[in-house]
Amino acid sequence: MRGVIGAFHELDAAVSAIEALKEGGVGAIRVYTPTPRHELEEAIGAPPSSVRRYTLIGGLLGVTFGFWIAIWTSDYWPLVVGGKPIASWVPYTIFGFEVMVLVGALSTVVGLFINSRIPRLTMMVGYDPRFSHGDYGVWVECPPEKAKTAEGLLREHGAVEVRLER
Amino acid sequence: MATLTQPVPSRDEPRRPNIASADVQLPAVRDYEQVDREIVGTLHPTVAWFIGLGIAVFFLFTGIAAWMYQIYSGLGVAGYNPPVMWGVYIITFVFWVGIGHAGTLISAILYLFRAGFRTTIYRCAEAMTVFAVMTAGLFPILHLGRPWKFFWLIPYPNWRYIWPQFKSPLVWDVFAILTYLTISSTFLYVGLIPDIAVLRDRENISPMRKRIYSVLSLGWRNTDSEWRHFARAYLFLAAFSTPLVLSVHSVVSFDFAMALVPGWHTTIFAPYFVAGAIFSGIGMVFTIIIPLRKFFGLRHYVTINHLDAAAKLCLFTSLVVGCAYMTEWFVAWFSGNEFEKAFFANRIWGQWWWASAILYTCNMVLPLSLFSQRLRRNPSWLFILSFTINIGMWFERFVIVVPSLSHEFEPWQWTSYRPTWVDYAILAGSFGWFSMWFLLFIKQLPVIAISEVKEIVPPKLRKAHPHGIDPAGRHFEYEADTPGEFA
Repeated sequence: MRGVIGAFHELDAAVSAIEALKEGGVGAIRVYTPTPRHELEEAIGAPPSSVRRYTLIGGLLGVTFGFWIAIWTSDYWPLVVGGKPIASWVPYTIFGFEVMVLVGALSTVVGLFINSRIPRLTMMVGYDPRFSHGDYGVWVECPPEKAKTAEGLLREHGAVEVRLER
Repeated sequence: MATLTQPVPSRDEPRRPNIASADVQLPAVRDYEQVDREIVGTLHPTVAWFIGLGIAVFFLFTGIAAWMYQIYSGLGVAGYNPPVMWGVYIITFVFWVGIGHAGTLISAILYLFRAGFRTTIYRCAEAMTVFAVMTAGLFPILHLGRPWKFFWLIPYPNWRYIWPQFKSPLVWDVFAILTYLTISSTFLYVGLIPDIAVLRDRENISPMRKRIYSVLSLGWRNTDSEWRHFARAYLFLAAFSTPLVLSVHSVVSFDFAMALVPGWHTTIFAPYFVAGAIFSGIGMVFTIIIPLRKFFGLRHYVTINHLDAAAKLCLFTSLVVGCAYMTEWFVAWFSGNEFEKAFFANRIWGQWWWASAILYTCNMVLPLSLFSQRLRRNPSWLFILSFTINIGMWFERFVIVVPSLSHEFEPWQWTSYRPTWVDYAILAGSFGWFSMWFLLFIKQLPVIAISEVKEIVPPKLRKAHPHGIDPAGRHFEYEADTPGEFA
């Protein structure tokens, strides 16, 4: 993985650098930011997160399992309580709901992990501890022949430090 | 250039005064570096912290000793007096579950409502939730004669070929509480990941600590793609936690409401319990956050405006709880049910009048003081009030559990109840257990969400700053606790 990383003190400088790099078609861009900002999100223009699919599938599996475990076990060991049917859907809704929340929420976290590629054991190229502190980092993945252009664009838009990394 | 969410004002536009507003919630916090420095700085242990931890562990061991004695001697030492077979343990169980609810309200429900004042207090409240539910979960086990068989309530294929009774509220409880504990811990941890990454990157002294933070942060690198998925996952976790918090205390209330006991068998119990839970939890949030902001020097993060907003929430839930109490009285009178009427007369004017008096004074009367803005903005008063709320809410559960069981249908069964030293020791032990976890938490992990606070701190810009701070970061002197527009 080869590319150029630029560090920015100011948010608007990082935003304009991203837009210039996108316009120039230099390469794939990754942005490091201490906190999520709408301005960066808008400049990057990434598609909506697919975590929601994991949530939906997990929730549906959970509600199914919750109802199933209550109904199946009641049927397996039938015991009439209070004259109610063996499989009483009203109290079993509690199990359906609780297990839906449990599995749905855990699968959301699984979705977050898979999509964000975490846990990650190795260092990420271009990362610098200052990006969790106060600075913004713009990483452009590009071949060596385009590195000069990328570096020029980053500096032009206010990067305080630019490095070639591989 | 992409549109900035705040329009950049022209240079000749007059600067705003340095008071909190919807745009500038933390006027004394200048930049992201200051946030890191001040919040990470709270993690150094102090002598006072070690003393506090020692006291908490002492109370915990007192509780453990009492429990060991109870296991050895049997449940008879716990002050049960048939038919009052639910006592301090069940009261304290409901109390701690309730405490947990405000944490989820603040972290999840207020997140969905975009309530700005939650940002600086939610981490504390969320940790409180996890530790309160961990404490609550012990009490049904303490209440068992053979506590080592508690896992029989969990449905799993077993050699006994039997399954839990899914129509029993106690099994509903197991599902609700275990789900709540799992989800609130997950929610806390997921929110902590970016902050642990900050700790990892700022740790320069201990390689061991750096390594631990590296593992716990899961290799988080603050990339735009990580934040995008994180924001979406956080939203869904909040959306799941919101109905969960309502369901959990409703299910706890069903432990009572499903029984044909006067004072318990009512349909108002679910909303009444949920409102009471949130009210008690906000009380506990004040008990925790007011000393924390003082001793950690975080008064410019958890500002008077934030306390004021939380106090309004406290007042509102107090009014809801008060309304529920009055509805209970009305329903008892209007129902024409002799048992219900006799029970309520006994609760208010009979043998338990003193417990009811504490409950109504602490939960209905004293919180009315929060109609005064002066008192809402007075941390000392809020701290005192939070204690009375905690006491009042413990007595609310006492008044629900004990008077009903001691005054059922048959007059020959009417009796009294007096907790023993074992009950008191285990109650004190539960506070020790909770405090121990909380004290350990506040010195290992940030009590204020670093990355979320950065979201409300204006970013550095090359051009004129939209928030009245010039590009060099110069700003007016912070006026401590100035009443602001934002509340």
